[in-house]
Amino acid sequence: MNSRRVGVERIFSWSALDEKTRVGILVSVFLLVAISPAVGQSIETGWDVAESGVDSNLNAAAVHGNETWVFGDGGVMLSSSDEGITWSAMNSDTTADLISADSAYDSMAVLDSTGSVLMKQGLDADWTNIGTPSEGMVDLVLIGQNSLILVGADGAIWRYSASNWQEIETQFTENLNDISFLDENNGIACGENGTLLFTTNGGISWNYREAPTGSSDSNLISVGYYNQYRLYAISSDGQILSSTTTSAQNWNLVEIESEGYNTSLNENLKTIEVVSASIILFAGPDNYLGVSLDGGNIVEHNLIPDGINTSFNDYAMIDYQKGIVVGDQGVILLTDSSGKNDLVGFEIPDYGNFGEFAEYADDMMLDGFKATVKIVGFGILFGFFIGVILAMFKTAPTNLKGLVEGRPNGIVRTLGGGLTVIGLYLFWEGLSGFSELGLDGIEYIFTPVGDPRGFAMFGLGIASTLLGLLFLSNNGKFSKIEVGRVTLNPWKTRPLNSIATLYTDFFRNTPLIVQFMFIHFGLSLGMEIQDVYESAFGAIGTDGFDYWLLGESAFISAIFTLGLNSGAYQCETIRGAIAAIPSGQMEAGRSIGLTYMGTMKLVIMPQAIRICIPPIGNEMVNLVLNSSLAMVIGYAELSRQGRLIIAVTFQIFWAWGMVMISYFVVTWTLALLLRRLEEKTKIPGLGISGGA
Amino acid sequence: MPEVVLSIRNLEKTYPGGVQAVRGVSFDVHQGESVAIIGSSGSGKSTVLRCINRLIEPTGGVIELGGTQINTPHANVNEIRSRIGMVFQSFELFAHLKVLENVTLGLRHVRGMSKSEADKVAMEVLERVDLLERVDAYPGNLSGGQKQRVAIARALAMKPEVILFDEPTSALDPELIGSVLKTIRGLADEGLTMIIVTHEINFARDVADRIVYLDKGLVAEEGPSSIINNPKTERMQRFLASMNEEH
Repeated sequence: MNSRRVGVERIFSWSALDEKTRVGILVSVFLLVAISPAVGQSIETGWDVAESGVDSNLNAAAVHGNETWVFGDGGVMLSSSDEGITWSAMNSDTTADLISADSAYDSMAVLDSTGSVLMKQGLDADWTNIGTPSEGMVDLVLIGQNSLILVGADGAIWRYSASNWQEIETQFTENLNDISFLDENNGIACGENGTLLFTTNGGISWNYREAPTGSSDSNLISVGYYNQYRLYAISSDGQILSSTTTSAQNWNLVEIESEGYNTSLNENLKTIEVVSASIILFAGPDNYLGVSLDGGNIVEHNLIPDGINTSFNDYAMIDYQKGIVVGDQGVILLTDSSGKNDLVGFEIPDYGNFGEFAEYADDMMLDGFKATVKIVGFGILFGFFIGVILAMFKTAPTNLKGLVEGRPNGIVRTLGGGLTVIGLYLFWEGLSGFSELGLDGIEYIFTPVGDPRGFAMFGLGIASTLLGLLFLSNNGKFSKIEVGRVTLNPWKTRPLNSIATLYTDFFRNTPLIVQFMFIHFGLSLGMEIQDVYESAFGAIGTDGFDYWLLGESAFISAIFTLGLNSGAYQCETIRGAIAAIPSGQMEAGRSIGLTYMGTMKLVIMPQAIRICIPPIGNEMVNLVLNSSLAMVIGYAELSRQGRLIIAVTFQIFWAWGMVMISYFVVTWTLALLLRRLEEKTKIPGLGISGGA
Repeated sequence: MPEVVLSIRNLEKTYPGGVQAVRGVSFDVHQGESVAIIGSSGSGKSTVLRCINRLIEPTGGVIELGGTQINTPHANVNEIRSRIGMVFQSFELFAHLKVLENVTLGLRHVRGMSKSEADKVAMEVLERVDLLERVDAYPGNLSGGQKQRVAIARALAMKPEVILFDEPTSALDPELIGSVLKTIRGLADEGLTMIIVTHEINFARDVADRIVYLDKGLVAEEGPSSIINNPKTERMQRFLASMNEEH
């Protein structure tokens, strides 16, 4: 026994690596880690909780000059002079529930549940009770420094002007819920059963506005009059109505995209605040706050701060971003972003900064890296498989003589007759189809594209006829055919070799990028394979192994293209290696009784594959580099990710540089592995390998 | 006289180029007999040998192994070859396999033995060729003589009815020839049936029971090993004289 280690040869062993290789592997691992996913982004609430100091239900809020006021049950009045951060209780002289408030023209008015109205006429004025026109009033709106309008149950409308209360007589008797004025004259009120009332003369007379189809029975709970062309109303069950015509002539129901194009938010609503032509804030009783930036088409459901569960009642906005919302149990929330959810980590990056660029690009690079490794892995396996098969085909000695020899002549001739008849039929069928293509002259080389089926029949027909005629002529002598000076021996034809040669010639004489596009778009091979799989095993779905393997048609097409193409090249390499094995090895294998295939498998291929590891390695590296062409069929491998990154960041040098490094990591790792494989599978005492 | 193992009648081989390498060779090999085929280069010795296990397809004549004709298209060529051992001039060991694996390959994949069975047989055979200490070496690390003895062991392991030696010592350095010849002589003494194509005239005389002298594709002279000392034909005399000049 010598000292050589006996047993299974391990191909990879860390301890067996020399230092240089170890450093190399560590560096590639480091590079991989460096291209790791960014820290996760998150969404946070855009509202902060303010300490109100009370636990009464807060029903109304208003901005009065530099102060913000909040009103609630039991006569609670709070005021803040720092935009809602700190609150102090104010003396209200009443214990009634304050239910509605408005501030305009430097005045502020508040309505209580008994129907009394308190008013502050001027920024520094004191509260005065200006009377109790009627019970059952629910909302008020200021239309001048000393004038206001109340609305309430059964269509009641009261107007206060010049220190006098006046009941406005209308023919409308539905309960009214809310009222909003654009200026001193134009205003809108809404109520139950789709009631919309409009005034152009400061509320002295009111006109009916028809609610849009689908909302004529709705309880319109709140209305907002932003400008001449922008009026919004909501129903208590989540409909949004809008009017963009002067004097609110026509109303439409807004289709809500985020809810699948229906016309309801599917949330109970209480009030809206229109802060710009298209930004609307929504509040509802079930802890609901929402914001729309586009007039209600898309409504973002605001996240509510932890620990808050209330019924929201009213907004008071200082500008379109800054303001408060109040709710039951003394809840006051404040925002400086219209209540929009904060997107943490979503800030607009400066891609001129390499750190930020890399942070954006690394995720996409990693995806591309994985995708490239995936097609390369499968492509190599597939290509090598095809290469080995084709190389065996090419070196197969089986020829027609060998197939026929030793079989009774009668059978051969009968077979020949059959083949001739079939061949002539196919030939004729294929040929007759060509005339319908309307081709003329040289265009006939494109026949296979115009009539693939016919062309296949035509080709098979010729081959089958020739083969049939040859078999028919069989007399056991397998003689040559001499035509003038040319001598042919059709019996020497090797069918497997011919098929393999046809294949390799075709794939090596067309550009890979065209093969990609032909196979993916022309044949839609990926889709066809998906269809076959789905019809056999059911839908692929969107996760699991079958999705990973077959979910993407471009991936399937890409591995087939790469594999078929690489196989054609690898075939020649492997064939060369087989040819380099001394013929004596085949004789030795056969002489102990192994079959041809057995000798191939056990003797020739194990040696040939070892010989061709270096050139096959070249071929595999080529395959990795060629995989970048898969970008033309939309497969998201490294190069395509590089282009997408450039589309967003415009950082061309950095993006392509990162792509290059990533490719280098893939190919270099592959080359290292192949080098190890070569060393590990080296046959001791065979060949000149330098040093070893 | 023991029974005839291998019988060759009017063997002919014409290569595709038209070269007539063998033009009607006939001889018999009996059980336990060793036959040496000698002759100058191009006389058809190797062709005859390769025709016997059909590495070359003869173009005429009849070859019978154990009474059955083997050169018909219907004969199972793999089965026939497993009954005929062959030792090549250039060894033709399987370079990627260790010595033991070289010997067991045929046992396992042709005879269908399990690994342990095959290893047992192989170890016995390797002992016979005196190579037990090299079972785990690769052929590339062996000397020429050792390689050829592995090749002999590989053929022996299959327990063939006849072993063909195709110039087993021609590729060896003179000092390595001895061990191989000793091994072959030992096998002959054990009564193995063998056909040896060789240039070692003295070895042929010592080992062979019978000598077949081929010249230009024909059997020019045939007889017991003593004919080397007293060749009857002028051509064989000339051939032996030229061989002696070389030595």
